[in-house]
Amino acid sequence: MSTLPKSKENPGAEPSSPTLSIKNVRKLYHDLEAIKNVSLDVAQNEFVSVLGPSGCGKSTLLMMVAGTVNNSEGEISINGKPVTGPRPEIGMVFQQPVLLPWRNVLDNVLFPIELLKLPRAKYVERAMELLAMAKIDDFAHHLPRQLSGGMRQRVSICRALVHDPSILLMDEPFSALDALTRDEMGVELLRIWQVHRKTVLFVTHSIREAAFLSDRVVVMGRRPATIIKEMTINLPRPRQIGLTEDEQFNQYVRGLRKAIEASHVR
Amino acid sequence: MFGKMRKFSIEAAWPIAISVGMLALWEAAVRGLHIRSIILPPPSEIFVTMIERRDLLLTHLWPSLYLTVLGFALSVVGGIAVAILVTYSKIMRKGFYPIIIVSQVIPKISIAPLFIVWFGTGTMSSLLLAFLITFFPMTINSALGFQSIDEDIGRMARTFMGTDWQIFWKIRMPNALPYIFSGMKISITLAIIGVIVSEFVASQEGIGYLIKLAGGLLDTPLMMAAITVLSISGLALYGLIAHAERRAVYWQSSSDISGSAGG
Repeated sequence: MSTLPKSKENPGAEPSSPTLSIKNVRKLYHDLEAIKNVSLDVAQNEFVSVLGPSGCGKSTLLMMVAGTVNNSEGEISINGKPVTGPRPEIGMVFQQPVLLPWRNVLDNVLFPIELLKLPRAKYVERAMELLAMAKIDDFAHHLPRQLSGGMRQRVSICRALVHDPSILLMDEPFSALDALTRDEMGVELLRIWQVHRKTVLFVTHSIREAAFLSDRVVVMGRRPATIIKEMTINLPRPRQIGLTEDEQFNQYVRGLRKAIEASHVR
Repeated sequence: MFGKMRKFSIEAAWPIAISVGMLALWEAAVRGLHIRSIILPPPSEIFVTMIERRDLLLTHLWPSLYLTVLGFALSVVGGIAVAILVTYSKIMRKGFYPIIIVSQVIPKISIAPLFIVWFGTGTMSSLLLAFLITFFPMTINSALGFQSIDEDIGRMARTFMGTDWQIFWKIRMPNALPYIFSGMKISITLAIIGVIVSEFVASQEGIGYLIKLAGGLLDTPLMMAAITVLSISGLALYGLIAHAERRAVYWQSSSDISGSAGG
C-alpha cells in the first residue's frame, strides 16, 4: 500500500552509537538553575518518554534538542554531530497544534518542506499518505478552523513527519485534548510509529501515557530538574488500549508513581 | 447559499425599513409644517436636485474622489512600510514610534491652514492632509499585525529551520492582513474628511468647495445633494474595501472580522 520511503539507516552513525545523545547538560536562566546535569542516550527507533511534573524543565530540554534554546553546559548531539541550532533531522509536535490558519491542511503539512526549500511536488504524495494514515485525508483541503482539536493535532503530527526526520520530538502533544481523544491519539500515534519508525523523545506529565507509549521512561524531578529514575517498559507491541487493564502495565505505573512521589518528599 | 441570502435579507430588512420610514416622516413633516426648503428641503427635492444638477455635482466629485483615493493609497503604502521598519528596527521602534504616537495629540485638521501657507491652495494641500490624517491608523494597525504573531508559531517555524525572510513572508504578512484591512477601513473614511476639510479652507473645486459655495448662496438643496453624493461615494469606497477583505482574509469568518486600534 505504501510507496513511502522507508526510514533510512543513519549514514555515518555506528550501529551501536545512539541517535540522540545528551551529555551532562545544564541550563541556567540568569542565576536560576532550570536543568541540572541531565544525561540521556536514545537509540535509533527507540521511543523514550520524559515524565515529570509541570514546569520542571522537560520542555526546555526538548527545545535544547530542537536547537531553539541553547544549553548552558554539556553537549547534545544527533547522529554524532553536536546540536548548535535547528536541524532538518528534527520533527516536532507541540503542545498546541500551531497550524497556520490561512493554510489548508495539506499546505500546513507541507510547511516544513517549503521552509527547508525541498521540492514541493515530490512531497505532496507523501503528505497525502501521511494524512491517509492519520485518517484525515478527506480534510486535506479544509482550513484548520473547520477541524476538531484532535484532528488538528493529527495534522501537526503529519507535519512533523513530512520531511522524514530521524528524530521526532513531542512536547505534551495530547495534553490539550479531552481524556477520550487523548487515549485514542496515543493508540493512533503508536500505529503511525509502527509504520514510520523514528527515534521519539516524548515529554508528558501523564504516568499512564508514558508507560503505554514508551520503550523506556525517564522521570525528572522538580527544579532544578534532573533524571531521578529510568525504567524500561517491557510490554509487547503492537499495544492496544486494552493493555492499560493489564496487571503488568499497572505495576509499571505504580513503580513510576512511587518514583515521582519520592521526588516530592525530597 | 440560499440560507445565507435569506439570513442577509432578514438582517438588512430592519435598517432599510427604518431608513425608509424616517425619510417618509421627513418628507411629511416638511410638507405638513410648510418648512421652507432653504431651511430644510424634503428628500424628494434633494433627489430631484441630484438628478438635475448631476453635471455640476460630478464635476466637483471627481477631484475630491481622486485626492481621497490617492491620499489613502499613499498612506496604505507608507503606513505598511513604516510598520515593517518599526517591526524590524529597534531604533525605529524605540525612537520613532513613540513620536508617531505622541504626534497624534495634534488635531490634524488644525494644520490645514498651515499647509495652505506652505503649499498654496492647490491639490497638494488636500492630498497631504488626507495622507497625514490616515497615516496613523494605517501604521499602528499594520505594526500591530506584523508584531502580534503567536509565540508558538514563531517557535514552530524556527524548529523547522525557517529563516527571518521566510517568517516574514509566510507568517507575518498573512498574519498582518486582517489588521491592515482594519486600518484601511478606518483610513478611507478619514481620507474623505481630510480632503473635504481642506477644500472648505482653500480650493476652487471639489465637493467640499461646492458645499461651502452652496452654503454661501443659501442653496440648501444643492448643499444637501452634495452631502448625499459624498456619503454615497464614501459608502461605496468602504464597501469595496470590505469586499476585498472578505476575499483576502478568507480564513476568518465574518464575525471574527472587526476593527482594532482606531485613529
